[in-house]
Amino acid sequence: MLIQILVTIGIVILVLPSIYSSYKRKTITPFAFFIWILFWIIGLVLIWDPSLIDFIGKALGVGRSIDALVYIAIVFLLYSTLSQRIRINELSKEITLLNRKLALEDVKQEKK
Amino acid sequence: MKIYIVLPAYCEDKVIKDVIADIKKEGYTNIIVVDDGSGDNTYKEAKSTGVITISHPINRGKGAATQTGIDAGKLLNADIIVTMDSDGQHDPKDIKGLIQPILNDKADVVIGSRMLNTKGMPKSRIMMNKIANIVTYIFFGVLVSDSQSGFRAYNRKAYTSVYTYMDRYEFESEMLGQIKNSKLRIQEVPIKVIYTDYSKSKYKHMGSFSAQGLVNGVRMVVRLIENSLFK
Repeated sequence: MLIQILVTIGIVILVLPSIYSSYKRKTITPFAFFIWILFWIIGLVLIWDPSLIDFIGKALGVGRSIDALVYIAIVFLLYSTLSQRIRINELSKEITLLNRKLALEDVKQEKK
Repeated sequence: MKIYIVLPAYCEDKVIKDVIADIKKEGYTNIIVVDDGSGDNTYKEAKSTGVITISHPINRGKGAATQTGIDAGKLLNADIIVTMDSDGQHDPKDIKGLIQPILNDKADVVIGSRMLNTKGMPKSRIMMNKIANIVTYIFFGVLVSDSQSGFRAYNRKAYTSVYTYMDRYEFESEMLGQIKNSKLRIQEVPIKVIYTDYSKSKYKHMGSFSAQGLVNGVRMVVRLIENSLFK
């Protein structure tokens, strides 16, 4: 199917090189590099043969396994977005407090 | 009586000197300018007037700059802290009326309200303020005529009881919520708003299109919801 070809090309041309580049720039550890590569290779295999994980769908009572994966992915993405938003909010507050601390140093100096 | 005037400023190098001079003319010489990471000469211009000038290395928004100014006033042991806009919209002549209820021990916080006399105020701004008042009431249970006014006076009890975390314009509403929770006495006095060509040009993008009020109201609601969820 066309969609399988397009997704495969996307993973091979965009995703895998990006992971490799992150590894080369040492922004991810060798362990993270291995996990990501493994994750996407499994993804590639499943794109071409979703029946390999039919047992998951049967076990969870969802008709097709791919549906179960989509549900799990949605929950994971929502959780990930929420935790990132919380972290960004915390960082934003910390930046403001740091800014304030630096600004108030001058006042403290003048007071002395 | 130590009265400190706090001016949160962002890219106001064209007018900041005049604003400071006008405040000094009214007899208030304790002025704190908080340059909120402006990319222009705001810091330099303010500093050259001899007033206390401090700066945020990175722009954080009006709310953050105002709270920094209040903290500076706290460090300097102010009796009263007055916050004003630094673009010349607020008339320093109104400071006297603003601090009077505090001097008479009738209030801990005084809000200079533009809505008690709306003469000359663009309709879009009136609508925007009304929407903001309703939103403030829904989120914080405080109903005032001008919830977004940055022209306010706080006595020591007030400024030591409140501490805002919202960086942008929503901090005015957050502050009102804290004022209510701290059971502080609040009063509103009418103030004049000076719409100069400069201040009009700053808000040019808002135009006279009153739907802008709605858009800003929606933005404010989104930020308030966000802040209430991720505190």
